[in-house]
Amino acid sequence: MKLFKESLAWAVFAVVVGLLSVWPRYNLVDADNAIITVTYAHAAQRVGECRILTQEELNELPPNMRKPSDCPRERHVVRFEMRSGDEVLYKDVLLPSGIWSDGKANIYQRVVVPAGRHDIFVGMNDSGGKAGFDYEIRTSLDIASGRNVVVQFNPESQQFTVH
Amino acid sequence: MIERVHSLGRSIFELLRRPMSRAFDSEQNPLNHLGALTVYFCWIVLVSGIWLLIFFRTSVSSAFESVEYLTHEQWYLGGVMRSLHRYASDALIVTILLHVIKEFIFNRYRLNRWFNWVTGVPLVWIIFPLGISGYWLVWDELAQYVAISSAELLDRVPIFTNPMAGNFMSAELLSDRFFTLMAFLHLIGLPIFLVFGIWLHVFRLNGPRINPPRRMMAAALLAMLVLSAVFPAISHDQADLAMAPQVLRFDWFYLHVYPLIQAWSPGWVWVLLIGISTLLTIAPWAPPARKTTVAVVDLDNCNGCKRCVDDCPFGAVEMVPRTDGSNYTHEAAVDQDLCISCGICVGACPTATPFRSRSALIPGIDVPNHSAAVIRQDIIEHAEPAANAPRVMVFGCRDDEQTRRMLKDGNSVVTVRCMAHLQPSFLDFVLSRDHAEGILLLGCEDGNCNYRLGAEWTEARINRERDPRLRKRTDTSKIAMGWQPPWSDIKDPAKRLAAFRASLAEEQGDG
Repeated sequence: MKLFKESLAWAVFAVVVGLLSVWPRYNLVDADNAIITVTYAHAAQRVGECRILTQEELNELPPNMRKPSDCPRERHVVRFEMRSGDEVLYKDVLLPSGIWSDGKANIYQRVVVPAGRHDIFVGMNDSGGKAGFDYEIRTSLDIASGRNVVVQFNPESQQFTVH
Repeated sequence: MIERVHSLGRSIFELLRRPMSRAFDSEQNPLNHLGALTVYFCWIVLVSGIWLLIFFRTSVSSAFESVEYLTHEQWYLGGVMRSLHRYASDALIVTILLHVIKEFIFNRYRLNRWFNWVTGVPLVWIIFPLGISGYWLVWDELAQYVAISSAELLDRVPIFTNPMAGNFMSAELLSDRFFTLMAFLHLIGLPIFLVFGIWLHVFRLNGPRINPPRRMMAAALLAMLVLSAVFPAISHDQADLAMAPQVLRFDWFYLHVYPLIQAWSPGWVWVLLIGISTLLTIAPWAPPARKTTVAVVDLDNCNGCKRCVDDCPFGAVEMVPRTDGSNYTHEAAVDQDLCISCGICVGACPTATPFRSRSALIPGIDVPNHSAAVIRQDIIEHAEPAANAPRVMVFGCRDDEQTRRMLKDGNSVVTVRCMAHLQPSFLDFVLSRDHAEGILLLGCEDGNCNYRLGAEWTEARINRERDPRLRKRTDTSKIAMGWQPPWSDIKDPAKRLAAFRASLAEEQGDG
């Protein structure tokens, strides 16, 4: 009897372990949906142009710090927007990284969309302008259920890619 | 406040403890060996993991295939090993969780026990990444989800120039080197920290139990093997970075936090994780702060026999060179930071005998506000009237629920700090000086000693296997150790007392 009770207790333990290792199932994306993932890092334009120092200004500096130009390190914020037709899927203002705000702005966002045809617009402004975009792409996609569409920005070609 | 939380926790824990104590003897009860059982499951994980490592290939293209080979082609061994690896990893999360809850609700984490508690927190931070990185290596849809979600979580820490999660957006971006790194972390890096962490967790304990009883080991292994055979672990479909995993068979033991990354945000998940860890870390110092009095050494009575050093469960007593010019070479010294005043050292001291009549009862080592003299006085005062024959003297541990219940119901109980606080000569004293015809040692419920080794040392002393031994003239049939069968089968302490009294009466009638 004792052995039966012990076996039963161990069996219950095993069932709990086995059950919670697979159940309940986790539904990440509904069957009729897909995902658009935006991911890239982008260094926005600097807030100001480099300025050539005058000779007087250079003379006032210690000899080891006499650089001919004074370039502000700070960068503009990055304004990002992604739309499907007229619906805004994701919109954000991204701050440059680094304590001097001179690094890249990082963007990573997953957006769940219904599967089907989408007229996608992606725009980015990195020059501090309040309106309009410096870079943009428009594309029409037929997104299958469960598909992961990735939006990235190619720093070499300075263009968005959607794949 | 905190006492109420402990009390509430104990009431809830009782729902689990009660059926478990019906099913198991105290020695075989897994609830009394949760820490050791966790280490044992780690051993199973290690051994099964070595087999998996032999066949595992660390590359994007072949990781999945090698696991599939083990699961399906070599199902009779590799498949079983894979399942065993998975289920033992899950089982140890259960034992860790119960271990933490139990130590908390029984107040075994405060005062001088803070070190064992605090060093347990980083172990949790090692165990979880270890398990999660294992899921990563399979490189199926679940691995894809785990990889991306883990990267999203790590991206919230401002140390990466580019979003790490971006590396999992297409197969071209993912390199074999990344798998090599994950395999290194899972197979070597984290396990090394785990071994060191376990050592640190127990190194201040005297005689830490890192292995459960053999029968329990066999039972645990058998349970995991049967589970592996009946319900083998299998993979999802191979990871496809162009697709988003939709429905996942989720391992809630390791991945319970992951849905929160999507439901809240990675930042709030970090707040949750760091918040819980911080609360756990500072818990030992949460009010009300209570400093216990520590054991004190009386050099006039200390002969430097070292038994208190051998028996102290927390390594709080050490031998140092004699300071009083006595002929003995060494004397006991108590480390105030480690002593939790359990009194086990007093029970080990050969001079803590109640028969001393020419001099005051001052042992070589004693607990100031619960001294051996006080226990002797309690014995004399708690002797039952002759009308109750056969008279039984009950000893109970101060912090044990059974003792509280007995006292609440108006029963007479001599309380000691721990059952091993009672030097065996006190048992001889009770019987030979006719203070009772029988002795019931309640001990801690189910042998779950509040001070780790109390029940073990008491048994060994009464069975005359460990010094100080019970005198041969003492009839051990008159002493009932409540945590041992047949007495442990009677869960109500009052009924246990009645049953023991009846058995003594029967014995006396036979005599």
